Amino acid sequence: MARMKFLCDADRCIECNACVTACKNENEVPWGINRRRVVTINDGKPSERSISMACMHCTDAPCAAVCPVDCFYTTADAVVLHSKDLCIGCGYCFYACPFGAPQYPKVGNFGSRGKMDKCTFCAGGPEVDLSPVEFQKYGSNRLAEGKLPLCAEMCSTKSLLAGDGAIIAQIYKERVVKRGYGSGAWGWQTAYKETVAI
Amino acid sequence: MMAVTMTAKHDAWETTMSKPKEAGSPAVDRRSFFKALGAGATLAATPAMVTPAAAVDPGKEETKARYRESEHVKDFYRVNRY
Repeated sequence: MARMKFLCDADRCIECNACVTACKNENEVPWGINRRRVVTINDGKPSERSISMACMHCTDAPCAAVCPVDCFYTTADAVVLHSKDLCIGCGYCFYACPFGAPQYPKVGNFGSRGKMDKCTFCAGGPEVDLSPVEFQKYGSNRLAEGKLPLCAEMCSTKSLLAGDGAIIAQIYKERVVKRGYGSGAWGWQTAYKETVAI
Repeated sequence: MMAVTMTAKHDAWETTMSKPKEAGSPAVDRRSFFKALGAGATLAATPAMVTPAAAVDPGKEETKARYRESEHVKDFYRVNRY
């Protein structure tokens, strides 16, 4: 059985934020919530690196471990989803998640929180597949349509990989073996030829 | 001297609090009433406490695998190998 995974090739990420925009648009994510975001370290320095982060769909998810109402479940293809009907917006999952994936809409004054929202690997939720209710609560269900998350499909430098963990790991290995050194960005050799020493 | 005073106070308290029951006292006095009420409440709460906690089972339909290696997905893998 294929296990769904995200893998971000940090050598290729150019911090364009297309993945963030694609996700927000595809899933019509509410104002104030970002299911995915780009994190940059050493910004503006020679060793700058960016990585696109969202829910990593952990095998033993800490969010599910701490949830007091057991609203999380893992699908057969290893996608961690949750039920917004059960969620009480307590915020425990937000504190437990090492990636800061769970987000909450602001529903009123005095810091009151709504139902938790997070990346669904574009796999919808517990509602009927591709139904309007599912879209309204969880966003699109591209997996049921035979597609992959739009963030990865939209990535211009093919930095963000998504899909069967075994296949995308193999793709990444091939890239590392091929590029060997320096940047593995698309068109590097075309632009700079092979004479550029890094 | 102090001991004598305390004993005197204690005797006074004893005399006030432990009056002999009057002849016309009700059949169920206040303490018995609350004792019976407490026992009844305990009995009523017992079935709720022994009911096992049930975790939510999302069901097979919700947890089924939706991923399939369609032509679209194969194309994604192919272009990512460039």
